[in-house]
Amino acid sequence: MKHKRYEISYSEEHLRFLKKRRLHVGVVWSLRVGILLLLIGFWELSTAVGWADAFLVSSPSRIVKTIAGLYQDGTLFYHIGTTLWETAAGFAISVVLGYGIALLLWWSETVRSVLEPYIVVLNALPKIALGPLIIIWFGTGSKAILFMTVIVGLIVAIMHMLTAFVSTDKNKLLLLRSMGANKWQILSKLVVPSSLASFISMLKVNVGMAWIGSIMGEYIVSRAGLGYLIVYGGQVFKLDLLMAATVILCFFAALMYFLVAMLEKLLVKNTEN
Amino acid sequence: MEEILRFTDVGYIYHTKRGETVAIKGLSFSVEKGEFVAIIGPSGCGKTTLLSLAAGLLAPSEGEVTRSGRCGYMLQKDELFPWRTIEKNILLPLEIKGKLQQEQKEHACSLAEKYGLSDYLQSYPSELSGGMRQRAALIRTLAADPDVLLLDEPFSALDYQTRLNVTKDVAHIIRSEQKTALLITHDISEAISLADRVLVLSSRPARVTHAHSLQFEEPDPLKRREKGEFSEWFELLWRELNG
Ligand SMILES: Nc1ncnc2c1ncn2[C@@H]1O[C@H](COP(=O)(O)OP(=O)(O)OP(=O)(O)O)[C@@H](O)[C@H]1O
Ligand SMILES: [Mg+2]
Repeated sequence: MKHKRYEISYSEEHLRFLKKRRLHVGVVWSLRVGILLLLIGFWELSTAVGWADAFLVSSPSRIVKTIAGLYQDGTLFYHIGTTLWETAAGFAISVVLGYGIALLLWWSETVRSVLEPYIVVLNALPKIALGPLIIIWFGTGSKAILFMTVIVGLIVAIMHMLTAFVSTDKNKLLLLRSMGANKWQILSKLVVPSSLASFISMLKVNVGMAWIGSIMGEYIVSRAGLGYLIVYGGQVFKLDLLMAATVILCFFAALMYFLVAMLEKLLVKNTEN
Repeated sequence: MEEILRFTDVGYIYHTKRGETVAIKGLSFSVEKGEFVAIIGPSGCGKTTLLSLAAGLLAPSEGEVTRSGRCGYMLQKDELFPWRTIEKNILLPLEIKGKLQQEQKEHACSLAEKYGLSDYLQSYPSELSGGMRQRAALIRTLAADPDVLLLDEPFSALDYQTRLNVTKDVAHIIRSEQKTALLITHDISEAISLADRVLVLSSRPARVTHAHSLQFEEPDPLKRREKGEFSEWFELLWRELNG
């Protein structure tokens, strides 16, 4: 891109516009933070003065204490690490595999029509139904959870990318073919770059899917991880533990989404679309 | 004169689940080197199909299409790839041919320079006006040094003012590069203002019903529009197209 750097001198009106925008952004952010603080404060207050039973709803201070406790007995990072690893690995595998399979399906119309009903059925199937089977096949360790995470994300990734690949602009295809492009060239010069936006939205969807897969997996089988802490906390009625794990989960789920959003900025930077 | 493209009794049928569509039947014509031929026909008569046959993207159901040399295709919309700079877009056909040698590249870039795109080489298509984009699309088509240009209503997506200018532009470029061109359009005045020869197609299935050599001395499409013959040709072609 040709960056034309003018010596910028804006009109009065534009300056007023900029000021108004800054004000707007400021208001939005203060309200966001304000609401959060208000909720936390109200939560803490209502358990402190006895409007609500801290045993049933926990409280912010108890959550902080629980997290500190987990940190002190050295299990905090172990649980976080376990879940993060399962989620990230499951995410990566389902994205890469899904992209690859979608390419394969794009490449051959015959393979595509043969496999279509299988994909439809696998997509409709609630993956949690496979839980017992997965335990039998993969045991009760991380492998089972990883497998669960992958199958939850895989079909979504395949369908998402395949839709993008087959909806490649017909005229651009025609143009490339008229230049004598072979299928590899069509793939690399047109199909892959033109589906970039879909790829990114697939990543965003699949971050969510990976968390669903790993936490669901941990509900069913695990001995460690945030999902395990949540289930365990529920079973032994330790609401503090349950809430603490949920809060940590929120944080990391948001973080991972944020990372994908950063990746999006990086990838889209050079493609004025 | 050297013949670049010849259709002999060509027919083409589209087959779909619902049935078959005879798009072209008994179509014959030829294009000679250096000629600018325009083909006009009612909408849906099979014009795009004809160009696909000419480019070798479709094989005729019957008859024969012979072509000597390479074709360059230009479509209604510019179809520039938005994720590539104008320069990268222009070099695309060379990339596809796998011969992105310095010499070829320089030729392409010199074309861009000659026809006023040099300031935009590092820009993305979204930063250019419609007319400029269509010009870039033409340079892209010319970059691979094709022997015949196939133009499928390349101006119809532009607004009237831009369209007249771009038409003039493109005519100038094609003539000064001494290219052979086959232009498809359903705009009669566009055909008259650009072509050396005009072929009129019937409604579907398409075949050639009339062929005319226009003897204009004037290559400039805007000036042609002011000539007396222009309206005579217009009336004649209009009658043939609707008759
Ligand atoms: N891929 C296809 N499959 C089936 N039928 C087709 C296909 N492409 C075109 N046709 C049919 O063939 C006929 C000719 O189509 P074509 O696109 O060549 O016409 P055209 O003259 O270019 O039309 P337009 O003026 O709209 O550009 C039309 O009736 C169209 O419905
Ligand atoms: Mg058409």
